[in-house]
Amino acid sequence: MLSSFQKVYNYRFLILQLIRVFALSPYKKSFLGGLWLIFFPIITVIIWIFLKGAGIVDPGDTEVPYPVYVLLSTSIWGLFLQLYKTVSQSITNGGRMMMMNSFPHETIVASLTITQLINFAILMIINISVILLFGVRLSWLSFLFPLTLIPLILFGMTIGLFVAMLRVIALDLCQAIDEGMKIVMYLTPIVYAPKIEISWLQSIINYNPLTYLIGFSRDILVTGDLSLMKGYFICFAGTLVLFPLVLRFYLKNESKILERLINN
Amino acid sequence: MIEVQGLYKKFCADIKYNMLYGIKDTFLKAPTQESYMRLRPKEFWALHDINFTVRSGDIMGILGTNGSGKTTLMRLIAGIYETNVGSIHLIDNCRITPIFALKSGMSPVFTGMENIYIKGSMLGMSKAEIEEKMDFILSFSEIEDFIHMPFGNYSSGMGARLAYAIAAATDPDLFIIDEALAVGDDHFRNKCFEHLRDFARGKNKCVLFVSNNIDKVSKVANRVLVLDKARLALDTLDIQEGFDYYLNKGYESLDDFSKQEVLLQKKNVKKS
Repeated sequence: MLSSFQKVYNYRFLILQLIRVFALSPYKKSFLGGLWLIFFPIITVIIWIFLKGAGIVDPGDTEVPYPVYVLLSTSIWGLFLQLYKTVSQSITNGGRMMMMNSFPHETIVASLTITQLINFAILMIINISVILLFGVRLSWLSFLFPLTLIPLILFGMTIGLFVAMLRVIALDLCQAIDEGMKIVMYLTPIVYAPKIEISWLQSIINYNPLTYLIGFSRDILVTGDLSLMKGYFICFAGTLVLFPLVLRFYLKNESKILERLINN
Repeated sequence: MIEVQGLYKKFCADIKYNMLYGIKDTFLKAPTQESYMRLRPKEFWALHDINFTVRSGDIMGILGTNGSGKTTLMRLIAGIYETNVGSIHLIDNCRITPIFALKSGMSPVFTGMENIYIKGSMLGMSKAEIEEKMDFILSFSEIEDFIHMPFGNYSSGMGARLAYAIAAATDPDLFIIDEALAVGDDHFRNKCFEHLRDFARGKNKCVLFVSNNIDKVSKVANRVLVLDKARLALDTLDIQEGFDYYLNKGYESLDDFSKQEVLLQKKNVKKS
């Protein structure tokens, strides 16, 4: 696995180029270009303010204004989901490029991950501006926020790498997982408060690692509440074990899987 | 420079079996060398017991009808496919530049100049190396006037010129060209052939030139290898012998359209 990291380092200029391609391609033909990165979160905030104002959603008690709660939670969830999506599609979408060129394929996963982190960083700058606009003060622990995302990033990549292989050889299972992600979103307290009255749903939320991985980061940023810390660190330890195992399995099997890719 | 010994590769002809075997081999039991040698239902040999050696200075033309295993062999040598049974030995620190599709990896919405950095880095060059070779790339491709235009707006010939120039700038030890010079005009192709001949004169340099067009192979190769139905049918320094073998042996398995194409090639070679 160390040789794999060495290869990624040696091809760091390629990673930089691929990040440019992945990040800028969607906006190259747009007059507004990267401004869309700003518009999307603003539109999301407006939608949630409208839904709350119209009484369509009742989120329960949240310690910060509801739009802020939703904005932060959905953004952090979005980071997880985008990492999962892009990494899990790395072989199927990048397959032709991998078959036609001889370069370490780990560079694609690295580039996709960094691209998502850049997008998220831009989004969070907007989000924090909105938060301050709502009069919410950041917690004194907020400087730790980027570090608290590490286990969530590793978790998204872990599932993504595993599903990337399934997407070639076990499409049914992979589609079930894709659909499952939609359900997981509703089983994670991102648009409603983490404490709810339905006991079975509360149990699921309590056992859902994303409750802690997303909730802890969000709380660190705005309230400084550490009540999810225990669950967070258990999940952190889990990802530290799981990620290297899945990465090793992926690196060992990725070339065999690539051979079975049909659309090359 | 390259020694290929007892090389086998198999694929599966059926999508569902392909997935099933993928699950079995990945998650249940990885195939051993012994189990790999047994064909399961719907599997077929893409390469069967391939042995040959490539020496410095060789420009090896690899001929074979469609599906004979040429590209699979090249992907194995380039390290894109995993070697399951058999071995491929390369000289130490052998730099390989494979071209399977000239424009693969290049982005249509980025300019030609931006794509020099994208493709160059994909071929293993650092930023400094690319910038050092920039003059060569621009002069070889002959598209300097259009270098700041989106790559997607290039004609296929212009795109091929730029992509080949970037590949040539890598100055590898082994150049693999797999049907990549099908586009572009005669001037460009002749320039590429001249470059390949010059390249192979260097120390520890060789070229694997894959095509099923003997006219192109005749212009550049000094050795011919013929693949026929996954097997190595002929390995010869006598180019004409290679062509005759390919045309006579391969001809039998061709469809009518391909037969006409081969007859045309035969005439052209005789003329030249």
